[in-house]
Amino acid sequence: MLLKHGSDLPLALGHMKPGDTVELHALHCASPLLRRRLRDLGVTEGSALKVLRLGLFGGPLTFECDGQHIGIRRDEANRMEVAPL
Amino acid sequence: MSEVALLGNPNTGKTSLFNMLTRSYETVGNWSGVTVEKKVGVLRGRGGRIVDLPGLYSLLPLTEDESVAARFLMEESPASLLNIVDASQLERNLYLTIQLLECGRPMLIGLNMVDVARSRNITVDAALLQQELGVPVVSIVARKGTGCADVLQALGSLAQSEKSSFRIDYGPVIESSVTRMSERLNQAAETSSSNLRWTALQLLEGNEAVRSFLSGSDVLSDLDDLIEETSQQLGLTGEKSDMPTYLRKIRTERITQICAVVLDRSAQRIHTATERIDTILTHRIIGIPLFLALMFLIFKLTFDWLGSLLSDQLDGLISGTLSGWISSALDGLGASAFTHALVVDGIVGGVGGVLVFLPQICILFMLISFIEDSGYMARITLLMDRTMEAVGLSGKAFIPFIIGFGCNVPAIMAARTMEQRKDRLLTTLLVPLMSCSARLPVYALFAGVFFASDQALVVMGLYLMGMVLALALAKLFSRTLMKSEPSLFVVELPPYRMPQLLSLLRMTWEKVKGFLRKAGTIILAGSVMIWFLSNTGPSGFGVNMNDSFLASIGGALSGILTPLGFGTWQAGAALITGFMAKEVVVSTMNIIYQVPDMAGLEHQVAMAFTPLQAFSFIAFILLYIPCLATVGVIRKETSSWRWTFFSMGYSLVLAYIVAILIYQGGRLIGLT
Ligand SMILES: Nc1nc2c(ncn2[C@@H]2O[C@H](COP(=O)(O)OP(=O)(O)OP(=O)(O)O)[C@@H](O)[C@H]2O)c(=O)[nH]1
Ligand SMILES: [Mg+2]
Repeated sequence: MLLKHGSDLPLALGHMKPGDTVELHALHCASPLLRRRLRDLGVTEGSALKVLRLGLFGGPLTFECDGQHIGIRRDEANRMEVAPL
Repeated sequence: MSEVALLGNPNTGKTSLFNMLTRSYETVGNWSGVTVEKKVGVLRGRGGRIVDLPGLYSLLPLTEDESVAARFLMEESPASLLNIVDASQLERNLYLTIQLLECGRPMLIGLNMVDVARSRNITVDAALLQQELGVPVVSIVARKGTGCADVLQALGSLAQSEKSSFRIDYGPVIESSVTRMSERLNQAAETSSSNLRWTALQLLEGNEAVRSFLSGSDVLSDLDDLIEETSQQLGLTGEKSDMPTYLRKIRTERITQICAVVLDRSAQRIHTATERIDTILTHRIIGIPLFLALMFLIFKLTFDWLGSLLSDQLDGLISGTLSGWISSALDGLGASAFTHALVVDGIVGGVGGVLVFLPQICILFMLISFIEDSGYMARITLLMDRTMEAVGLSGKAFIPFIIGFGCNVPAIMAARTMEQRKDRLLTTLLVPLMSCSARLPVYALFAGVFFASDQALVVMGLYLMGMVLALALAKLFSRTLMKSEPSLFVVELPPYRMPQLLSLLRMTWEKVKGFLRKAGTIILAGSVMIWFLSNTGPSGFGVNMNDSFLASIGGALSGILTPLGFGTWQAGAALITGFMAKEVVVSTMNIIYQVPDMAGLEHQVAMAFTPLQAFSFIAFILLYIPCLATVGVIRKETSSWRWTFFSMGYSLVLAYIVAILIYQGGRLIGLT
């Protein structure tokens, strides 16, 4: 079900390559806890994110937002909708 | 009595400032969630109490450590607040600041990390910020102590300063609801100490700490009706988001306005050094091998290169010089043979035999402190998360695991910082498999005797075995015992910082002091007890040790221990006493084999065990049971005897299985 959700999205953070800069479009598909944590960290709709690194074997995705580096799981990143900047 | 509470986002330097203001040495580390308990100190110079609290992002806590801070604000109502704000992350830090301002207590803002902000070309105008927020703002660099005198002074004049005029207009719907709720709250006596407007706003936002504070009083149901009504009204105005989101939106708008005035980020730079280090240390392929190499380096330093050298020196000092002095002093005082034996064989043998390993313990603690303060800790969680996810845990569980190499007790408390209950519980249960510094004397003794040429490798093997078993059991337990919640992983990667030598030494000393305290209490008491038990038997005092009570107690176990390769009463006795503290295993051996120094003990141990038996024995020691202090903290953190007994039970079973596999398997392939 989650996978299907992911594939419906036009563009997901999890599909970006290191070095890509994108704008976060929608967070509502991410899990509620994660959504709150990201908001706490100042990551919301409209934030500019730069993908830094992707872990091996589907490991975490690291991105930069407002000068802070944050790591999240790839399947969560797949549920975060982004638009190219 | 005036009490100041330190509040702020995680990893902003609260504990650094606390240490400066109170001359304490609480643990400082470069990741979010170092402090998990409140710590009280006395302000330097002017008296008055200050309380260091876990960091939190907003007053709506998500994790256990955050709720410690949120509850403190509610339940203990500190006289004034000291809010630490990270100047290099002003916007996100101000969210908590606003909630604290609404609280209506006298408040001082410490604008910290101005050095970091400067190096990134971010300027924050403290005077303008003070104007915008209506409370005093002091610029500080907590790590160096810059501005601490100003903080102390400002705290002194805080009580007289008038209340902040800061106020956010949340729009007609919320404002009228807040007024009505305040009126209702005003009629109830319980809430008189908190600001009514703040209480109403927090209730609207869904703050559980405030709710539970009010629970039991009849106002709560009235207020719930009001909240429900407000929600509907808000929906009618065409607002799409729910109430907490709406409140956050309004606050964020205000923060944006404030930042437009006080913050200049036009020439902002990124952390180039951190980026460069991270391209290597968190590299997708070499990251994990580098981590393992680093661990190996730590063991090499602790056991081979530095530790054992210093340890031999210390052994000479304790068992030779010191023991000699004590002996002649006792003779000079005309002490009886009984006292002489008790002091020299029991106390010096038992306690001294453990103190000999002080150098190794110091080095290990120092290296762990270095990792904690460097910023690498958060990266380890990132590197390990894929593996941890596979076994049903969060990568963040690795922080307690690493702390557990020092001591399991703070490690279990560190599990509080994980968002999900299942992650916390699993981590709490598995931390005891991390080989703590108390097990180190046992390894150092046995590995020194049997595996002298590759001590570090054998010891690293044991540490890895503990970790691998922890992961395997995580998989097993999360499949069978826990509700299937997907674990959550989100980690902030702070900029790397070079740990300061002085603060490293202090933090190491603070932990070593814990070890020394243990040597003077539990290990001392254990040694005296063992000495007595080994010298008394059914026929009275002074029996042959093989007929002593200790021999019969230890002997009772030897039957079930025989398949593991160490079915002697000596091993059985050491295991029982080791439950008090694992170091006591070594004390017991020292007393039982009645040897004057390490060399003598090594000789005795070499006679009593074959290498295979020795390996089986140390593997058993690694796993067999959490020590007494750890059991206590497991009980406290899980608040359940069932889980506490479970943690003891599973480790006994696990230790037995592993030791039998090692010994019988080893024999099958022809090892001795
Ligand atoms: N450059 C710089 N580093 C600082 C400053 N203050 C603290 N640090 C460092 O920031 C890190 C975090 O410090 P802590 O004092 O542990 O922070 P905390 O707010 O208590 O963190 P938690 O307990 O996790 O909430 C440590 O590595 C400190 O050395 C500062 O003013 N400048
Ligand atoms: Mg702290």
